[in-house]
Amino acid sequence: MSKIHAALEIGTSRTLLAVGETQSGGRMKIISHAEIPSSGVRKSQIIDISQATQSIRSVLREIESKRDQSGANVEINTALLVVSGQHIHVAHSEGNAVVEGGKVNEAEMMEAARRSREMPLPKGRELLDIIDQDYQIDSLGGISSPKGMSGRMLKLNTLQIHASSDRIQDARTAAENARLEISEPVFAATCTADAVLEEHERRNGALVLDLGGGSTGYAAYCDGILATAGVVGVGGDHVTNDIAYAFQTTNAQAEQLKTDEASACIGQYTTENSRVRLTGSSALMESRAISRRALDTVVNARLKEIFTMIRETLEENDLIHRLHAGVVIAGGGAGMRDIEALAEQELGLGVRRGRPLHVDGLEDVPDPWSYATISGALLYSQRTGDDAGFLNSILGRFFK
Amino acid sequence: MSGNSSSMLLVGVGTAGTRIARGVSRAFGEGLRYLAIDTDASSGQDEENFLLLGGNRLSGRGAGGDVVAARLAAEDSIGAVDEHLEGVRLAVVVTALGGGTGGGATLEVLKRLSDLGIQSIVFATTPFAFEGEDRLRNARGVMSMIEESAGATFFLPLDKLVGGEDNMAEAMRRAVDTLAGGVTLFWRLVEKPGYIRLDADRIRHLVSGAGRGRFAFVTVQGPDRASVAVDRLVRSELLAVASAPVNAILCGVLAGEDLRLSELGRVADGVREAFGDQVPFEIGTVNDEQTYCGRLCVVAMLFESAANGGEANGARPGTRRTAPKGPLGVGHGSARRFHKTEPTIWHGEDLDLPTYLRRNINLDL
Repeated sequence: MSKIHAALEIGTSRTLLAVGETQSGGRMKIISHAEIPSSGVRKSQIIDISQATQSIRSVLREIESKRDQSGANVEINTALLVVSGQHIHVAHSEGNAVVEGGKVNEAEMMEAARRSREMPLPKGRELLDIIDQDYQIDSLGGISSPKGMSGRMLKLNTLQIHASSDRIQDARTAAENARLEISEPVFAATCTADAVLEEHERRNGALVLDLGGGSTGYAAYCDGILATAGVVGVGGDHVTNDIAYAFQTTNAQAEQLKTDEASACIGQYTTENSRVRLTGSSALMESRAISRRALDTVVNARLKEIFTMIRETLEENDLIHRLHAGVVIAGGGAGMRDIEALAEQELGLGVRRGRPLHVDGLEDVPDPWSYATISGALLYSQRTGDDAGFLNSILGRFFK
Repeated sequence: MSGNSSSMLLVGVGTAGTRIARGVSRAFGEGLRYLAIDTDASSGQDEENFLLLGGNRLSGRGAGGDVVAARLAAEDSIGAVDEHLEGVRLAVVVTALGGGTGGGATLEVLKRLSDLGIQSIVFATTPFAFEGEDRLRNARGVMSMIEESAGATFFLPLDKLVGGEDNMAEAMRRAVDTLAGGVTLFWRLVEKPGYIRLDADRIRHLVSGAGRGRFAFVTVQGPDRASVAVDRLVRSELLAVASAPVNAILCGVLAGEDLRLSELGRVADGVREAFGDQVPFEIGTVNDEQTYCGRLCVVAMLFESAANGGEANGARPGTRRTAPKGPLGVGHGSARRFHKTEPTIWHGEDLDLPTYLRRNINLDL
């Protein structure tokens, strides 16, 4: 039996459930996915559990109604939960071990790792991940493999990624109400990076931006390790809200304007008097037209602000000049027109859209960058599941 | 609440704001309605005119410089403001920006006033340069939001209110006293008018959507006092900080019974010549021999173009930088999709509000 993996993303804009399978060559293939617009979610956090439950039920039902290539239906009992939102914090931690024999051995490396994981979390927080960065022996840092090196004290630097226990519990509750068990919460931005970055990009320094509906996650890599990561509580939903407010439209109209008409750069496709007609359910709405330049101005201001926040964060961490491989933008917001150009301008780095590189099954999808995070979660499940072998026991396949 | 029927209410927000409000009340005497609002119970919990915000959330210990905590505390308690607002048509809000309560709670107070259809004028100090970049950033973060929510706003840099030679405590005290003095003069103009009346309704009309303004006052005595007063006003740093052209002027002249018509004319002509002779101009007087015997006080309020369009601030006809007024009033609906979620604050700015509004970007509609 091949290995099946499932991941759930309860986003601000949509709820997405994807099922992947490890193919014979070891590559991940997405064999089924379902999504619907989310209800009861704001800024990546659930504000109405019953509505969120309904959304999860819908995607679960759709997945289970589909048949894969072998004609089988896939039943999902358990899935990874992709977590984002401004309640996520990233903190440095470290673990020390005394080098007894003058040269570092494996036991001492494990001791340093164990101690780094003993760092207590603040109250009300749940650990999403601990990521090893580098080792330090006495005053010599930046060591990736210390085994056999001489010194007296070994230190392992790590990044703790933790989130609000309550926010994760809300997501678990919504999933459980829909009869889906959450095996583990995982951080969206690092999942995205897993899916869209090549190894050489991590080594040369790269930033991954996950432009979601309710928040924007980021993960910066240098020398092959995660240098910093985090979430800012602003996303595509803010762009939509700004448009709706500026032009007094419905959210649906604003979303359509953002997706189909707006440019992240002002004046790219506009003549001085270029106007955009609103679409709507009534003749009154359809009779209105707005200035395309004004629309672009509203969108540009918000996106520019997001990139400024990211740039300031990179500067604070002394990373901006170390990202030689540039920036990869993914998430639903990556589909906005001219967003690469604006990001290049604001960050001063090369930018590309991030389609999942290590996953098959998305060939027919028009906006693969918006499946990057869920793809990364499946890759994470594959990686940890293959190691632990536990997912096989909780995910099954049956024939109807 | 003071038991009088004035349609004007003075609201002091935060520790400095409550001090200013009390100073005005003391100087004005009987008949001034005021309300002191703070998250810190030590500002005056035992007073009839004091409202503690977020007692359950902050236990009366203040917001500790946290704008978000203050705003949430104000959200908890804002309904209690209503009982102080009976019959109020114009509220004058005084506060100090840079800390937590002044910035965070003032926004909620203004929203409440707006919801109830009460016009508001805000006098807010911004921090001394020596207070550091964090407090300046905190202040800047809420200034545009206050502008969106208030009828007229006067931001007064503390560095320009008092001289640089004072020690810190003295500078703070003098700043509070100076602003209290200015607001008292404004109050007298409305509540104790002389031969030329400036009533609350005329001011309400004037400040409606007036946007940011500049405010200064001088007190002069001796020969040729009217010319000296105009000269000092024209040179006042508080009036020189121009972010946009003036589109309306309100001028008050307060003196004893010795105020001469020629002096009034000299002040009016001088102020108009200096700040704009083609814009609407309102002047009022107070004749109070007991208070101003031999002295001449001149108050000038210069309003800048904002919501009402025009050529000012780089805005062309048909452009808009302020929010359209929704059913809940200016500033209330700008974060309508996010208003029940935890706010996203960055450098003291509420990022749930549209960026173009916070950046004062004109939209060529």
